[in-house]
Amino acid sequence: MSRVVYDGTPIEYEEGDSLALAALRAGQHPARGGTLCMAGDCGNCVAIVDGTPWVRTCQTDARPGIVVRRHPNGSHPSPGGPEQHTSVTVRHRTADHVVVGHGESGAAAAAALRAEGHDVTVFDAADGDEVVGVFDGPSVIVRRADGIDHFHVHHITLATGAAEVQPVCPGNLLAGIYTPKAAAVAIAAGIDLGTVVTVGHDVKAFHGEGRVSEVEFRDGTRVACDSVIADLGSAPRDVLARMAPLVPVEVVGPAAQAHPLPPVAEEGVLCPCGKITVEDLQGVWDKGFRDLELVKRASLCGVGTCQGGVCMPHLRSFVADRSGVEPKPFTGRPAARQVTLAEAAAGYHIDTFRRTPLHAEHEALGANLDKFGGWFRPWNYGDPIAEYWAVREGVSLGDVSTLGKMLVSGPDVVEALERLYPNHVHDIKVGRSRYVINLNERGHVLDDGMICREGDTRFLLTFTSGGASTAEMWVRDWVETWGLKVHVLDRTVSHGAINVTGPLAGELLRRAGVADDDRPKFLQHRHVTVAGVPCHIMRLSFTGEASYELHHQIDRSVELWQALMELGRPLGIKPHGLQALFGLRLEKGHVIVGQDTELDSSPRRINMDWAVKMEKADFLGREALARTANLPDERRLFGFTMDGPAPLEGSVIRVDGDVVGHVTSSWDSPMYGHAVLLGWQKRLPHADVVEIDGREARVSPVPFYDKEGARARM
Amino acid sequence: MNEFVETLLDLPWQTGEPKSSYDVVIIGAGGHGLATAYYLATRHGITNVCVLDSNFIGAGNSGRNTTIIRSNYGIPESVRFYQRSLEMYQTLEDETGCWIMHNQKGQIWMAHSVSTARTEQTRALMNQACGAKTDYIGPDEIKQLCPQIDLTGGGRYPVYGASYHHEGATARHDRVVWAYAQGALRAGVHVFQHTPVTGLLKDGDRVVGVQTPRGNIAAGTVISAVGGDVTTVANWAGVRLPIRTHALQAFVTNAYAQEFAPIVSSNDLVFYVSQTPRGQMLIGAEYDRFASYRQATSFSYLQACSKKSITMFPFLAKLRILRSWTGICDVSTDFSPIIGHTGVDGFMITTGWGTWGFKAIPAGGSQLAELVATGSATLIEPFGLQRFAHEAAMADPSSAGTR
Repeated sequence: MSRVVYDGTPIEYEEGDSLALAALRAGQHPARGGTLCMAGDCGNCVAIVDGTPWVRTCQTDARPGIVVRRHPNGSHPSPGGPEQHTSVTVRHRTADHVVVGHGESGAAAAAALRAEGHDVTVFDAADGDEVVGVFDGPSVIVRRADGIDHFHVHHITLATGAAEVQPVCPGNLLAGIYTPKAAAVAIAAGIDLGTVVTVGHDVKAFHGEGRVSEVEFRDGTRVACDSVIADLGSAPRDVLARMAPLVPVEVVGPAAQAHPLPPVAEEGVLCPCGKITVEDLQGVWDKGFRDLELVKRASLCGVGTCQGGVCMPHLRSFVADRSGVEPKPFTGRPAARQVTLAEAAAGYHIDTFRRTPLHAEHEALGANLDKFGGWFRPWNYGDPIAEYWAVREGVSLGDVSTLGKMLVSGPDVVEALERLYPNHVHDIKVGRSRYVINLNERGHVLDDGMICREGDTRFLLTFTSGGASTAEMWVRDWVETWGLKVHVLDRTVSHGAINVTGPLAGELLRRAGVADDDRPKFLQHRHVTVAGVPCHIMRLSFTGEASYELHHQIDRSVELWQALMELGRPLGIKPHGLQALFGLRLEKGHVIVGQDTELDSSPRRINMDWAVKMEKADFLGREALARTANLPDERRLFGFTMDGPAPLEGSVIRVDGDVVGHVTSSWDSPMYGHAVLLGWQKRLPHADVVEIDGREARVSPVPFYDKEGARARM
Repeated sequence: MNEFVETLLDLPWQTGEPKSSYDVVIIGAGGHGLATAYYLATRHGITNVCVLDSNFIGAGNSGRNTTIIRSNYGIPESVRFYQRSLEMYQTLEDETGCWIMHNQKGQIWMAHSVSTARTEQTRALMNQACGAKTDYIGPDEIKQLCPQIDLTGGGRYPVYGASYHHEGATARHDRVVWAYAQGALRAGVHVFQHTPVTGLLKDGDRVVGVQTPRGNIAAGTVISAVGGDVTTVANWAGVRLPIRTHALQAFVTNAYAQEFAPIVSSNDLVFYVSQTPRGQMLIGAEYDRFASYRQATSFSYLQACSKKSITMFPFLAKLRILRSWTGICDVSTDFSPIIGHTGVDGFMITTGWGTWGFKAIPAGGSQLAELVATGSATLIEPFGLQRFAHEAAMADPSSAGTR
């Protein structure tokens, strides 16, 4: 004989015993009382098993060393202390037919299906295979002894049989009361139940101290006993059938049959999970809660751990008696058999944050990496102000591999881009590029980026790092909707990009072997080899300084980065992180879509009307912009300056004490020695002087830095 | 009788059939419909009101939410509106005499990156400016408020900080519905369950009543307080709504000892967890991406939510899932409610309650009642349907799409 520890005391069990049976063998109730079904239908045997509360001991095999504790008396178990993650095996499986239950009806159904040549998989809780739920798909989730199975199936047959009705009368929470099948299980296991009295609906009450010792019948007779078998009929075990009304399931056998409701209970605990009494039901009924659902919700009968397994027949009987109409049972809700969160979670992987090909380089340089738009990106390399000055005064590298990059080509590509973008596309010359914004159908800014023309019918598009995945869906959806012949190749992850920026950027490229004549001018792009690496160089500027974005295949990223860092060493090169970049671009007044814009930011609101050509016949968002063009529009993004320190991003902007907007970007400009900001005013008239963080701030034209844009063209 | 039952007040149902005419007929006896009726009757003396529902009271989203009350929104109009609602909830028990199990718990909204820390900081600053009590707090304070948290987030989601909404609370959803139902009934409002509205009565362009299987009912004003099928009802009146309907799932575990004090949400991981007064751990996340009217749950949702929540709260790994459920959310294009006039005479609406309808019940009901009774209601003025035509959306970046 092996032993388990039950409430601190070792008890012996026999091979094949469930924990509940082991407790009975030791002369104990597995919990603290209540009728036992030994079939997983009720919650009367739950205990804390190896630290997990609310485990049905009748459904759990006894194993050596297992530790069981009863739930505390009169209160809920503690969720427990520090936990170690236990790994749970998950398997995805397919099956033609799944039959739940291998009793008489299940076995017959399975045999019939097999005779027709079907592949049939059968589960039964008695074998430790508990069906958690049936879901769309159809799919069936099964909790098994060794893990969780996700079954994707064609057909589901539910042959779950019937559950035995439990007695509702005074004393029904005593130990020693069994359903007939539970008693049979115990007797078959060789457990001596002592003097047994079998009762039907003629029972009035059970008496005893902790254990039943006497049965009182309706006719007044009293009979002494050690155990009671309550033979009260059955009710369909159909929670799975009631769970997913649109999942095609076939219900067979007792689970599908109408069972007479038990006589209406008069007294006693009707819902052992919640200790809800007949008196409680009468109470809610008398208060006007006269609907099965309202009775349930008002009394909380049926929402305990057995999900109505015990109380449903009695609850329906009660409502039928009081209302004169037999109510339908309520909807079944997963989990039909319970799983822990660890078991439910098995097989799910939280989206990873992507790493650029230069991730290890950044780490080696001591970067503080942070999560932005689904990527790990350098926030700074320890000294954002030094990084700022490297860009403004020398040369710096920025890893912009995260940018959305999309090659579009095909006979209809110009037509498609003209419709996708509010700016002109057809007049972009080969070798030239243009800054563009994307609008949605409501005329609100979705994203921004560049269009580079590579040939008559070939363009490279860039999008923001956070907007790239949406942009791909966006472009593909529209091209398909319009039926245009356009090939879309997303190169976001196949190509890296390094931004070489600063007044010495040209010099660095020269040292990397790029002849001055090969270096693209502002808003040009060209394919050039840099330090031996084939690159597509795009000349633009987000930082405000001369900038060359070197797009290249990611297998060359590390080589290119290391070569540039090495060649730039005599020039005092420093890489810059996002923190410096955000400040640099803010001095130029460039918005970051998503940070400075809102869900409904039209181009006008962010002062980007210039990027919209209403003279075009059509483009996404044009109709909305035309319709709203003459509406009074109080909301606008402004540049502000104020004395430092820069207020927190998110600080409210007030005019005459009223909140009119908030700061979207804020930076103590090392160049100017004061704060530069972007923020919203959403009330007319727009003020020239506002209050931020209790201090005065003045509207300022943007850009704050290099208004003529001379430095970007250097 | 147990405490839960004993403390319920009577629902003093009217007797007989609906009258042939009411001043106001409200479609939908959920929280919003009943609260509107309650405030019409108790604040404005308009008691000739009838509320109709195709099911029992509170059968829809009022009884299928995660019971959270908060006002930590991102735009002034929303903060002020939800703060009013939050404050009305604080006194609802005193006013109605009904125990709604109101429980001020505080809400921690965690950030796990520089960019979401900015979002939470922005939330705190905007809240403070508009009357909601929210502070930005650091990891140490979070740990004090919620010792069960793994501040490293399993190594992948370290906690940078959080906005802490001091007055975040919960209340028992059903009992809120019943508080308004009993108050409305007591004031003489009629509430008919299992009485579906099947169409609207019109006189020209004007809506003048409703059709039901129990007969036509004339009304001075018809209000749709429908959840889920609102576009169908609005369509009867010829009103097109910028609404898409999505399913929102949530689940509870079994009941455990009360050890988890606050409501905790994660901005990056997108889930939230709290412990109900009955001891269950309640876990939810964002609504399903695809549009649907179904109230079915999916295992993939349980899977994702379980994984996310045990990543931050390892103790949850051993807890057992008891029950999951689904509500049907009407989500507007700017993630804010649509409440008030519709442009069709005699037909008003309260919808667009997305995943934030429960917390809005007191303010939504009282403001709509005020609009009906007096012709104006300040807090809901920005949330009219006309805003979409006027390019004056109430887009709230910090509530967008979730929760």
